Amino acid sequence: MNKTQKSAIFCLVTFLFCVVVMAYPFISIFILKSWPESFFSRFWSMIAYFVFIAASIIFLRKKQSPAEPDFDERDDLIKKRAVLVSFVSVWILLAAACIIPRFIVGETGAIPVYVLTFINLGIFMVAMLVHSIAVLVQYGWGGKDGQG
Amino acid sequence: MTQQELADKAGVTRQTIIAIEAGGYSPSLTLAFKIVKVFGVSVEEVFQYGKGKS
Repeated sequence: MNKTQKSAIFCLVTFLFCVVVMAYPFISIFILKSWPESFFSRFWSMIAYFVFIAASIIFLRKKQSPAEPDFDERDDLIKKRAVLVSFVSVWILLAAACIIPRFIVGETGAIPVYVLTFINLGIFMVAMLVHSIAVLVQYGWGGKDGQG
Repeated sequence: MTQQELADKAGVTRQTIIAIEAGGYSPSLTLAFKIVKVFGVSVEEVFQYGKGKS
């Protein structure tokens, strides 16, 4: 696995983790209507992040060979295509974010400000997930030899 | 010569060499010349333009 594939997997796992971390306070505050009491229950995500980042540094730094470049022309091409796919996904999500609330709250309805924050963060995270998936699909899901 | 050794000498990743060998990627002129320089032969001896793919 080369560095671009490792970076794509790292981004994929990181942003999936972000989605889980965002869902946890959202569910606690708006659905369960209560906030955990213990230190670990409140800050488990911060602890998990530190452990994850430390393990990822080792994973990302390890090279297939000492002379391996960080990226080559094929990696460049794959990344450019992935950015294009991610850009298209942002437009689709923005359109959905404009259309869906109309059906939920009506044309003259109101949306709380914090919902806009969740929408913006959600669009960003999905765009990063789409980018990572596009890179991995072009590599063939990071198979042993990265064929694809 | 292994794929990794060729990749190191050509300045690309092993995955790129594999993709070139499998016909899944067409290298740039610069990379093609780097590869043939490693083997010490002409471009035509390493790369052929076939029907529908290079």
